[in-house]
Amino acid sequence: MALLSVEDLVVRFRTHEGTIHAVNGVTFELEEGERLGLVGESGCGKSVTNLAIIRLLPKPAGRIEGGRVLFDGQDLTVLPEAEVRDIRGSDIAMIFQDPMTSLNPVLTIREQMVETIQAHRKVTKAEAEKRAVELLAMVGIPKAADRLKDYPHQFSGGMRQRVMIAIALALEPKLLIADEPTTALDVTIQAQVLDLLRNLTTEQGTALVLITHDLGVVAGMTQRINVMYAGFIVETATTADLFAHPSHPYTIGLLHSVPRLDAVEGEELIPIEGRPPDMRRAPTGCPFAPRCAWRLEACWADNPGLRALSGEETVVTTGERATHRSACHNPPTAEEAAAGRPLRAGFTAAPPPSGAIDELGGTTANIDDFGGLVAAIEAEESPIEPFPSAAGLPLPPEPERRNDGI
Amino acid sequence: MIKYIVRRLIGAIPVLIGLSIILFAFVHLLPGDPATAILGQHATPERVAKMRAYLGLDLPLWQQYLMYVGGILQGDFGSSVINNQPLLKELMTRFPATIELTLGAMIYAAGVGIPLGRYAARHAQGWSDGAVTVISLVGISIPVFVLGLTLQYIFAVQLDVLPAAGRIDPRANLQIQSNFILIDSLLMGRPDLFIDGISHLILPAIALGSIPLAIIARITRASVLDVSNEDHVRTARAKGLTERRVDGRHIMRNAWLPVVTVLGIQVGGLLAGAVITETVFAWGGVGRFVVEAINNRDYLVVQNTILIFALVFLAVNLIVDILYAFLNPRIRYA
Amino acid sequence: MAAPAIPAGRSARPAEARASRGLWSDAFRRLLRNGPALVGLFLIALFVLTAALAPVIAPYPPLAGSLADRLQPPTAEHWMGTDMQGRDEFSRVIFGAQVSLVAGVVSVVMGVTIGGLIGALAGGIGGKVDAVLMRVVDVMLSIPGILLAIGIVAWLDRGLPQIMFAVAMVNVPIFARILRGSLLSLREADYVTASRSVGASRGRLLARHMLPNSLTPLIVAATLALATAIIDVAGLGFLGLGPPDPRTPEWGTMLTDSTKFLRQAPWLIIFPGVAIVITAIGFNLLGDGLRESLDPRMKR
Ligand SMILES: Nc1ncnc2c1ncn2[C@@H]1O[C@H](COP(=O)(O)OP(=O)(O)OP(=O)(O)O)[C@@H](O)[C@H]1O
Ligand code: SF4
Ligand SMILES: [Mg+2]
Repeated sequence: MALLSVEDLVVRFRTHEGTIHAVNGVTFELEEGERLGLVGESGCGKSVTNLAIIRLLPKPAGRIEGGRVLFDGQDLTVLPEAEVRDIRGSDIAMIFQDPMTSLNPVLTIREQMVETIQAHRKVTKAEAEKRAVELLAMVGIPKAADRLKDYPHQFSGGMRQRVMIAIALALEPKLLIADEPTTALDVTIQAQVLDLLRNLTTEQGTALVLITHDLGVVAGMTQRINVMYAGFIVETATTADLFAHPSHPYTIGLLHSVPRLDAVEGEELIPIEGRPPDMRRAPTGCPFAPRCAWRLEACWADNPGLRALSGEETVVTTGERATHRSACHNPPTAEEAAAGRPLRAGFTAAPPPSGAIDELGGTTANIDDFGGLVAAIEAEESPIEPFPSAAGLPLPPEPERRNDGI
Repeated sequence: MIKYIVRRLIGAIPVLIGLSIILFAFVHLLPGDPATAILGQHATPERVAKMRAYLGLDLPLWQQYLMYVGGILQGDFGSSVINNQPLLKELMTRFPATIELTLGAMIYAAGVGIPLGRYAARHAQGWSDGAVTVISLVGISIPVFVLGLTLQYIFAVQLDVLPAAGRIDPRANLQIQSNFILIDSLLMGRPDLFIDGISHLILPAIALGSIPLAIIARITRASVLDVSNEDHVRTARAKGLTERRVDGRHIMRNAWLPVVTVLGIQVGGLLAGAVITETVFAWGGVGRFVVEAINNRDYLVVQNTILIFALVFLAVNLIVDILYAFLNPRIRYA
Repeated sequence: MAAPAIPAGRSARPAEARASRGLWSDAFRRLLRNGPALVGLFLIALFVLTAALAPVIAPYPPLAGSLADRLQPPTAEHWMGTDMQGRDEFSRVIFGAQVSLVAGVVSVVMGVTIGGLIGALAGGIGGKVDAVLMRVVDVMLSIPGILLAIGIVAWLDRGLPQIMFAVAMVNVPIFARILRGSLLSLREADYVTASRSVGASRGRLLARHMLPNSLTPLIVAATLALATAIIDVAGLGFLGLGPPDPRTPEWGTMLTDSTKFLRQAPWLIIFPGVAIVITAIGFNLLGDGLRESLDPRMKR
């Protein structure tokens, strides 16, 4: 039995602007100690998939609307909250993208580590602290014992992510989910943190789900890769297989849009045209169709499921012999994959059925733009943190009404 | 931390100097002849001359100013023109009443406002959140005196469950020691008087505290909502902490910061509001004293009461700043 | 290896880069869709119309009454009863709107002008000027709320102009800080840097680019300040510092006069009180609505 088995997971957000189809039937498995990569463009549902696994979707908008998540044989989607809580942080741990904001700024590292240990183990504070020092030393923080009393802002970004890793591994979880753990870090620090993650998970036999949109990161870190697009897994294979024989047009697009170490001299980069689809639309047809150069007419109407490339009936879902599967009506050939475009004589991508392209491509991009704009504006707004003036007099409580005392 | 406090103290010095200049100007630059202004148009020339000498008006302005500041630094706030009592003594006997009132109002405002704001944030967008929004809108729109009179009418006149005015039953012979009725009654071993004191305090405290309550509820709600959306709260949940700990430790420890600042600001509103509340409820504190002084043209009293209120406000803000730094390590270690 | 071609950076400050006419008309449209703000507008319209049409609406003259009619409860003849002088309370409440409207508007305009000037000088010039002006503002803020106004009225003596000036001074430091704050944050904004590098003069920069964009928070604050100003004026009246002619129908003064009759004539408290509260609610609702529509970032 696999350690983790996600079956046909469906996650939707009910918002003012309508329903967002974030995850649309994702199925995959993970063995103990296995390292899996989850790749895809921003917004394709990577984070949501994993938040759904530990049931931390943003409330009340996000909901699991279908499927199961079996962990150690238990269905996490129906488990009582208290039992899920026992699993969080102890059996399944998570590391998030931004180490600058993922730690609580007003609590010491000591408190943030000790509370995690004590939430799951009956140990004294002193014992928990001793363990915390060991952990900090393990993740390579110099003078670990002295730094326990420090606050997050006294650590650099890389050091904070090490602290996050220490907290995540504190209870020797069976599964560690790392959501873009290095995206916010400098390139040199990135490599160090990744090395650390790989070494520690290997040592402890911890299974790893590594979320990233950087193919370079997964290449050296994982044994298998799921490629996600618009809430679907569109291709899955062992890491070696995927890089050697990419099959789905989207995967091929990804590989051709970034510079590769093994690139042939003079090979040009081909960016993926267009934008991901508007997730507010219930998916019909292949989600990648508007951007796909290989698309057939069937692609507009019928969303292909994952199928073994070799056509075999029996599918191996985990491990080194995992079956290479892809969800595509018109799989590119090896030559086409290498070239990054269709090579068949006279082939052109099938046009959309009666002008629907605007519906799917054009307008959605605009709406997305606007959403991005609002998100960017909102992100800019910092929480109210009035700074007292030099004389210690309060700033005007601008967002609130004044109190003149009447 | 010490450095931070010292910096704040030094920063307050220019304000204190400016404040003293303004208050000095207040009495010494009264339109027309200050002595006449103080004594009124019909004062005899001898009284006016005496007043001029008393105020040191024959000296150059800067000397007068230095005398004024020197006096204050030695605790000499001058004397009331009306009864010639040393002002400091009079203020000292009245100040406890004002403190009792503002403290009661603050406890009510924070004690109800903060839980209300937290509750609204937890049920954000629901109908109970909407109800809290409406309550706080009405709360900030009712002036102290309108609310005070309304409460008086309902609870004292109609229902007759709480006293309408005063600090204590006039028949009670309370031995005044500290002038805090709530303390004196306990010192006397008279819990009945203590309860009587509390029952007198309830209506004025509610009247005075309702605007701060509404403002505190609003800022608490906004602050809790803001913090709840921060990444580190998700981290706390992912670590398997109980909702109780996530809320009480991780969210609130951060959400306090803006709330604390607003609490400090509200002390100013409470001090100013005490003047009106004391008038409504015949509460014998400094506020009522200053209103009487205005009507008596007792400008020294007005000047010095304002000075004391401002000093208290500055001190409270200093304390709030320190508390803020204490709660916020990013400032403490800056 | 870099990330794949993920649609690149969302532009950082799109809202501020937009033309200011677009900002205003957008804001106006958002305001019209804001229910509470519309309620506020309605209440304010009611208040302004009452004040403007007082002589037409009021059934009786506000100053005349006969002692024979004193302290009558509300009836068909006297909707809000009569006061201790036998004057029609309804007519007095209506005429009271005039005093409140004039005093509120004048004091806020005065406060915005003086405060805005201080803030613009401080934020626009910076350096020593800024430091000195801001210390002055600190001093004014150290005397909390209406206490400053009480002191000023005590100093200048009673009278409507004095009251308006006193209430304006309460607002001055607040407006000064708001304008200075937004000027400072705008200084760094891209397009200001851009036009500076093109060589726009400092004064022009201030007048053409920075001020219009700094006005938004000031407008919101001014609307909310109207609520406080009207309450402050009534509060001064309540303390007996109102208009020198004690017969003037001023809501706060009317309340003080009625406190002695709380038992016999509670309507004399209720009606002026409700008038103040409704007016304040109107300006508070509009102020919150304006803030939400002028600044889309602002969530409540
Ligand atoms: N709180 C939320 N409310 C509404 N929609 C959401 C919310 N969180 C995520 N979504 C939507 O769910 C979809 C998937 O988002 P998700 O965060 O999983 O993307 P991702 O693949 O992790 O992208 P990234 O690389 O940017 O982290 C997106 O379309 C997003 O807009
Ligand atoms: S060929 Fe068709 S099915 Fe395959 S990715 Fe392109 S559009 Fe989708
Ligand atoms: Mg993500």
